[in-house]
Amino acid sequence: MKGREGLTLRVRILAGIVPGLLLLPIFLTPYQRSVLTEIMIWGLFAMAFDLLYGYTGMLSFGQAIFFGAGAYGMGFAVLRLQWGVWEALGFGIVLAAVFAAVVGALAVRVTGHYFLILTITFSVISVLVLQSGHWRWLSRGYVASPFVPPNVPLGLWTISLTDPLVNYYWVLTFVVLSFFACWRIVHSPLGKVFQCIRENEERSRLIGYHVERFKLIAFVLAGIFSGLSGALLALTLRYVDISFFELSLSGKAVAWTVIGGAGTLIGAFLGAAVFIISTDYLSAWTVNVPLSIGLLLLVTVTLAPDGLIGVVRRSLALRGDGRKRP
Amino acid sequence: MEIVAQLALGAINGLVWGFILALIALGLTLVFGLLEIINVSHGELYMLGAVLGWYILQAAGSFWISLLLAPLLVGILGLAVERAVLRPIEAKPIITIIATFGLSLIFQQSVLWVFGGAPQRVPAPIAWEFSIFGFGYSGYRLFVAFCSALAIAALWGFLHRFKYGMWMRAVQQDREMALALGIPISQVYMLTFGLGGALAALGGILAAPIVALEFRMGLDILPAVFIVVIIGGLGSIEGSLLAALLIGELEGLASVFVTPTTARIFSLVFMSVVLLFRPEGLLGRRH
Repeated sequence: MKGREGLTLRVRILAGIVPGLLLLPIFLTPYQRSVLTEIMIWGLFAMAFDLLYGYTGMLSFGQAIFFGAGAYGMGFAVLRLQWGVWEALGFGIVLAAVFAAVVGALAVRVTGHYFLILTITFSVISVLVLQSGHWRWLSRGYVASPFVPPNVPLGLWTISLTDPLVNYYWVLTFVVLSFFACWRIVHSPLGKVFQCIRENEERSRLIGYHVERFKLIAFVLAGIFSGLSGALLALTLRYVDISFFELSLSGKAVAWTVIGGAGTLIGAFLGAAVFIISTDYLSAWTVNVPLSIGLLLLVTVTLAPDGLIGVVRRSLALRGDGRKRP
Repeated sequence: MEIVAQLALGAINGLVWGFILALIALGLTLVFGLLEIINVSHGELYMLGAVLGWYILQAAGSFWISLLLAPLLVGILGLAVERAVLRPIEAKPIITIIATFGLSLIFQQSVLWVFGGAPQRVPAPIAWEFSIFGFGYSGYRLFVAFCSALAIAALWGFLHRFKYGMWMRAVQQDREMALALGIPISQVYMLTFGLGGALAALGGILAAPIVALEFRMGLDILPAVFIVVIIGGLGSIEGSLLAALLIGELEGLASVFVTPTTARIFSLVFMSVVLLFRPEGLLGRRH
């Protein structure tokens, strides 16, 4: 009974957000619309991380590998193979999933601190490799490879993603679909196993779950959604370069999830929105985005380790109209 | 003959690099052994050591003063960071690790802000060169290996002969019992973090004449150091030393035949193999 009540409240909030996002472009300037597009993409990336960290308890600093793989897969397929957007998107996601399966196969064998170190190491070395002479022909280092997304056939119509408004709805569609996919996953029996592993790995093993297998599933799922967000960003910015692979991007996913509230899915979007909007308004003072990420991260983890969602929940509980928490 | 000379050079370079890696990895593994956190900002402390050393060199004009002062200053910074930032959240290790990531961004970007993005050079303070199979070799590099070995020996002595050092080992072995015996654990944690920072900074200032000095240099060293502590076993001091020398030699010898990036990939493969067969590292304890 308790869970049902909470669910309807959350569903009501979500039911308000989606039509809001559909109508919002009417009221926004083109610039604000582009900021909102980026917030949705970064929120999607952070949500993929939340699936891993907030629900399965795996702190990874390597998500940029899969973000970059999605972006490069998209860019490579459009630029070099002359593929259409659908095929390129699929290629980027498959590439991200394959990378996640390879890194994950090794990473899920170790726990806790070793896992964290492994993901950082893979992340930093992937940038090193792409920057080095052997792979420069493919990655072009920090030199951007611009591309124009071809028109997308959509049933009877053809849409052009070069139109920012069309791109906004294109991104919104994928983000909303991904959100509900993740929502289904974390509320499915599979998601319950993830949370079981987060709470107590040893006990999950004793119950009879193959912990490594489920961790690998979580890792690949997170890789897929990271790859999708990378591909969407590449389509929006219309270029790729190796900054898509940088460790600081993985850090952004961590920061936004922690700032918004881990283990909530929506917190990732909230964190991304709060951070991107505030740095945008304060850009006169905060010339340095990574520095403000670092400061905000420190403030959040010291004052509110459960993030903004946690603050909201606690204040609701204090006012007495939230459901009682055990 | 040519190949023998190059291999000899590679081996000596590997030894020097291995000792620098050992200094930095020891700091990381000490902090892990006691505080049970991975300090993600450890590479930045190494970078800060080098950059502060550069500033001191500009002001005082002597490399030897910066060799003493830079680790000291970074050590004090470490003490302050532990006290002000990490202590309030030390009960939650994952949150603490995320905080150290925030710190690494802050250190890196502050240096970019003040120091600028252009790489700087520190001239080697020892001009003496000698020849190996006809190749000139910088005596300063040998001094680096010697100085690192000396610092590691001093650390070992500190951990085994001095009160605080023995307290540190006691806390690592059994935190509860150490607390029961009246060891001031908070002070020991603070000292450990400061000492870890000082070791990283010492590695930084020693490496400064060999590498390009810039705000990203912490990111260059981080993967190598992480590989070392994983191979050696997290928290194991002897393991880190052994693994650092192994990785130094592996990359040094491999660099004779392939590019440094490919040599780094060899280390990565080596680490993966170790993880598959001995997940706790060569000399680590099974958790």
